[in-house]
Amino acid sequence: MALRTVTRKLGRQVLPIFSSSQLHSHATSFGFKEVREEEKSQMVGNVFTSVASNYDLMNDLMSAGLHRLWKERLISKLNPFPGMKHLDVAGGTGDVAFRILETINSVKRRALQDFLEDNLLEETQIYICDINPNMLNVGKKRALERGLGEDRSLTWVEGDAESLNFVNDSMDGYTIAFGIRNVTHIEKVLAEAYRVLKRGGRFLCLELSHVEIPIFKELYDYYSFSVIPAMGELVAGDRESYQYLVESIRRFPSQEKFASMIADAGFQKVEYENLVGGVVATHSGLKI
Amino acid sequence: MVRLSAALLKNAGTELGSLGKTLSEFLVCPLSKQPLRYCEETNSLISDTIGVSFPIKDGIPCLVPKDGKILDTEDTSKSEDTASSSAKNEDNQG
Repeated sequence: MALRTVTRKLGRQVLPIFSSSQLHSHATSFGFKEVREEEKSQMVGNVFTSVASNYDLMNDLMSAGLHRLWKERLISKLNPFPGMKHLDVAGGTGDVAFRILETINSVKRRALQDFLEDNLLEETQIYICDINPNMLNVGKKRALERGLGEDRSLTWVEGDAESLNFVNDSMDGYTIAFGIRNVTHIEKVLAEAYRVLKRGGRFLCLELSHVEIPIFKELYDYYSFSVIPAMGELVAGDRESYQYLVESIRRFPSQEKFASMIADAGFQKVEYENLVGGVVATHSGLKI
Repeated sequence: MVRLSAALLKNAGTELGSLGKTLSEFLVCPLSKQPLRYCEETNSLISDTIGVSFPIKDGIPCLVPKDGKILDTEDTSKSEDTASSSAKNEDNQG
């Protein structure tokens, strides 16, 4: 059954990438379920509304803390600099944005005198865009806790990755961590990322991906389908959301396929790196 | 520098207003990709090109296309100088 739906999804993805935005009711995946396209965003919305309060705790538990290292890896690839304009999509809880800002602040402290700092501090802008207001509220609360509540470098916006509300050619960097798997139209997200990036701007994606190493794959599957939903039920009182999580990972395109989609959106120097044997992968591309 | 310190001195009430102004500088309408105008009265961002208003909730602009409200029904009933603004809104929707 899963196989059939996978084939179907692949078929859909070879369609022209800039097809009209008013697509008719295609089927899309919600985990292993086939749902109508209009329903997916609603259903994903429900998942994230449900998991928002436990989101970071569950990430720590499920990945045994590894998601922190993966995010660090993403940021080291981004190479943030003072004064940069950055857009972090689907990062409502602020996890990626805080790290970028902290990296910039430490770079700045090393490199510059006090009197220059004020100016640059104002210039650095990190926009956090998430479609789910509950995730953004968690992020704003965490910003306050970290003493970043008044930081003018952080701007929170409720927006849709498929239809971004940022000016063309305005961003130095774009990150999306564990987000693109949940969107309805990956191609539209990539096209929008391309649109808002400046020339020379970098697209970076961190996403749960595919493990192909024998034995490790079997272990990973067991962990995914048996341990994670049970953990979700135990810790967050929500089995379904975590069942969706593991299913949606299996439905996401392979590393190679996703890389070719990024290239199709116009990005150059597209490359990916597997972490932990493909449990997650970082994909990157440049707008030249 | 002046702008920064001035902003820091402001209290929470006016901060939202200045936020709205700053926001309208870098944000565009998610549908038309045209500039947004900050409307102090309704604390919303207005896309004049397509006549849609997007709310700002708890200082977070909500610019998901489905959050947008078509102007004219919502906005004009609130303001006192409806005559001019509703006419303008209707023009924009054409």
